[in-house]
Amino acid sequence: MSFTIRYDDNNQELMVAGSMSPQSAGELGELRKIFEKSARTVNGTLYLNVKRLIRLNNIAFHELAGLVARTCQEKPELKISVVTSSVVGWSARKFSKLARISPNISVEQYDKQFYPGQDVLEDGGFIPILRTQTKMTWRHEREILPRHGLKPGMAVADVCCGIGDFAALIYKEFTPSRLIAIDHAKPSLAYARKVAADFGIKGIEYVYGDASQLLLDDNQFDFVTCRHSLQVFDRPELILKELFRICKPGGRVYISNEKNSHCLGEPRAESIQWTYTEVAKLWDHFKMDIELGPKSRRYMMDTGFEDIRMESFMVTNLDGDPQDFADVIQAWEDVYAGKMAAERGDSEEFIKKFRQGFQDHIFAALHPKGYAGWPIWVASGRKPA
Amino acid sequence: MSADARMRDGGADFKPLFEMALGVEAFASNWAHCDKIATYVARLVSHNRTDSLLYANLFSSALNELLETAFRAHRGGGELACHVSRSGPVDRIELTIPCDEVLRGFYTRAIEELSGDDVSERYVAALLADGALDPGIGLLELAVDYKARLSLEPGDGDAVRLVADLALEEA
Ligand SMILES: C[S@@+](CC[C@H](N)C(=O)[O-])C[C@H]1O[C@@H](n2cnc3c(N)ncnc32)[C@H](O)[C@@H]1O
Repeated sequence: MSFTIRYDDNNQELMVAGSMSPQSAGELGELRKIFEKSARTVNGTLYLNVKRLIRLNNIAFHELAGLVARTCQEKPELKISVVTSSVVGWSARKFSKLARISPNISVEQYDKQFYPGQDVLEDGGFIPILRTQTKMTWRHEREILPRHGLKPGMAVADVCCGIGDFAALIYKEFTPSRLIAIDHAKPSLAYARKVAADFGIKGIEYVYGDASQLLLDDNQFDFVTCRHSLQVFDRPELILKELFRICKPGGRVYISNEKNSHCLGEPRAESIQWTYTEVAKLWDHFKMDIELGPKSRRYMMDTGFEDIRMESFMVTNLDGDPQDFADVIQAWEDVYAGKMAAERGDSEEFIKKFRQGFQDHIFAALHPKGYAGWPIWVASGRKPA
Repeated sequence: MSADARMRDGGADFKPLFEMALGVEAFASNWAHCDKIATYVARLVSHNRTDSLLYANLFSSALNELLETAFRAHRGGGELACHVSRSGPVDRIELTIPCDEVLRGFYTRAIEELSGDDVSERYVAALLADGALDPGIGLLELAVDYKARLSLEPGDGDAVRLVADLALEEA
């Protein structure tokens, strides 16, 4: 039985994580001690965080319910808020019983919006754009990936897999021995499963999960990928730690990220550059770092990876059909100018200028003598054996 | 066929997925066996469910409660057998548990209790009761939170067979 209990005074949060299946309540002395101590010291609301609790037998649950009930009696003014997981199937159902103890207890499911563009991305209309995006990057990455250690027959995990197209490409090109693809957007996963079924692909496990607290065991995969996603989290180092954890010793983690301010085009370079510099600031406003690409090396070193390899490539209008490139930029304009800037409360004047840069990028992409680019940085590192 | 109909059905088309038997004394020598067996079996039977990880977590939690129930209430010798089979969305766990009269009485009552309208209330009551834990609490939870259909059948010799039908993707 392995679980951890921690009390964080700053947030008045008691976190219980891991697997809790004792034979008798006597084994839970530590839980009792920390629970009672924190209940004594808090004022207002005590948060009981069970997001990362993956097993709780009824012996432990009975004990926990008793602790909660006694606390409610002793401190009638105290509120207790239980935060359950949306990923662990039984969690919300099981903990909802605690709300029966007292009206002061509330039970909620942790399933916050992960980033501001999320609902736009999950909107069905956006899906073709994501596919186009992956089609454009794949031309480069299929050659890059082997340089970072991907070989046929490996156990591979793609974390934050989106609509799962990258996983399907990996499946076809690199015939992994196991392939699991994880995302926290159910509509994207549903789409991914449907596409896989349509193409008769049976070997991909599409799994609902939270990248910052994966239910996967340690040391499972030879190759772990996470593309265009560290840049959407406010604490990318937490995700990277999870990728490191599930990677086998000697295996490699591969990440790709952007530095949007370096998107470029000719003609109309200046307007394009202005807009993408503003894109970076806009993301920063929402605590996301679309400039993360070149910082990958530092992040990987700080996480403990060795033999770090890094390179960059540029998706351009010359790679394939320039209209594909234009479609992607149009979709970005819709999300960034149409949604995120509006949400930040930007003026009409700003949004107009902001939109112009995207239109100029499209102009450059479709111009017979034009050139338009979208740079991407990939990095990989080995987990020490 | 719906999950509900499959559960009611005697089980002609249940395909075996997993089977094991071990001596009750060996099983009952270490509490950690419950969790270990539950986790191992769950991994084996979950890989072709839509969301294998989520499914394995639910399945192992359910099986763990069954095994813990058997562990708490075990008697003497004989073999404990665990058999898992599948019919579409329904997974059936069968535990064959060596029994004496007292133990048979416990299982019979525990299963009878599940047929009332107030199972949900009973589970909450057992959970919030002071003092010692109701040894049937795991079965109550399965009936309430996992929508399991539980039944008891006579086994060979001095044994009972505890059958749990689970439609975890729908629960
Ligand atoms: C910018 S998209 C990248 C998707 C895909 N890798 C690609 O390259 O097209 C970021 C993805 O991260 C997912 N995501 C956001 N928060 C997550 C979390 N906590 N756990 C797992 N996935 C998450 C989103 O649902 C989205 O699919």
